[in-house]
Amino acid sequence: MNPHHHLHESTLMSYAAGALPAPLSIVAGVHLEQCRHCRQRLRDAEAIGSVLLEKTQPPPPDARREALRQAMLAQLDVNEPVALSVATGSPPPARQGADPDALPAALHPYFGDSLAHLRWRWMAPGVHCIRAERMPSLIMLKIAPGKCLPMHSHGRNELTQILRGAYNDALGLFGPGDMADLDGEVEHQPVTVPGVPCICVSALDAPLVFSGWLARKIQRFVKL
Amino acid sequence: MYPDPTPLPSSLDAARIVSNSHQPSNEPMDWAGDMDAVARLRDRACFLRIYDHFMPRLCVYLRGLGVPEAVAEELAQECLLRLWLRAADFDPAQGALSTWLYRIARNLHIDRVRRERSWMQVQAAVEQAAASDGDEHSSAEQYADQARLRQRINELPAVQARLVRMSYFEAKSHGEIAHALGMPLGTVKSHLRRAFLQLQSKVGGAP
Repeated sequence: MNPHHHLHESTLMSYAAGALPAPLSIVAGVHLEQCRHCRQRLRDAEAIGSVLLEKTQPPPPDARREALRQAMLAQLDVNEPVALSVATGSPPPARQGADPDALPAALHPYFGDSLAHLRWRWMAPGVHCIRAERMPSLIMLKIAPGKCLPMHSHGRNELTQILRGAYNDALGLFGPGDMADLDGEVEHQPVTVPGVPCICVSALDAPLVFSGWLARKIQRFVKL
Repeated sequence: MYPDPTPLPSSLDAARIVSNSHQPSNEPMDWAGDMDAVARLRDRACFLRIYDHFMPRLCVYLRGLGVPEAVAEELAQECLLRLWLRAADFDPAQGALSTWLYRIARNLHIDRVRRERSWMQVQAAVEQAAASDGDEHSSAEQYADQARLRQRINELPAVQARLVRMSYFEAKSHGEIAHALGMPLGTVKSHLRRAFLQLQSKVGGAP
């Protein structure tokens, strides 16, 4: 897969920082699974975190740290060779290419492992959807071919990864493997291409409560 | 090992350098040799050198994410125990030791403190895909990249540096940063984008 539309740099940094809200990190993960270019950029983003870690100025050693050091030394004796072979969290072997209906691994806990087994619900004419259990802002969409969606914007961060089919909007043609990383200020009107339905997975940032937002803003500007 | 690009220090700089001289280990280091000794010889002296350098830094990082001191210590200890147990998995051609540890600490925090079940699954899927990328650099190249990146971070404009810090060291989402600073979301994202491009331009080699 050779995607043409990628994660925004700020999204990569947020992912690398562990600061991306869970539903967005899942959709970003689907893209990262499919896009080597973004995996390389993710490494650069993680390197930023590691340099910041190196740059921290820790307090000088004290008795507490010496106690922790001794505790660690004792752990080394206990944990020597046995646990070495236990690789926790190792992913299952990839079966990519085997099944054309296979869903990306990051989606398995929410939507199962196959496009063929999805149970779509009617949402609007030509549009079906499935909401992830326990994560309502993570959603899969299936849009009929040649369908024009109404003009909309989201007001929040939104990530959409195309799995099947394609759509056009002012930002270009989005096909399988492509990521639409929209910051909520973008208004767009996607039109799916003829032929096959467009299937994508999408997540919205959680809404924020902007209490006293204007006051805060003014305050900030005065300070600066 | 890399040349110090700074000119002769002024008296103020000299004072700062003197005050930093108690912590000479604050310069980035190449840990590949120590890690090799830990992996192959189970060398405890080498392990403790790594431990003494990173343990307090990991605690500072985890405290910054808002966890209580005791939890930060526990997670930092676990990070370094993992390093001891899985030293053989560390490949200096894939990245600096500090990046490896940073990733472990970040993942532990999301998994244990925020209890986001999805994160480790997503990570496993991404790492599985990355395993076949075969994107290798020598340990010396990695080290030079880290040193350049460090220099570049020091040179970031104040606003960008602040947003980078809030992202990485407070793990704030863009929405939260926008809210905290009273800045439009799009502005937060474009500042971070500029910071990333500026830092990245040096990471891969020529600007």
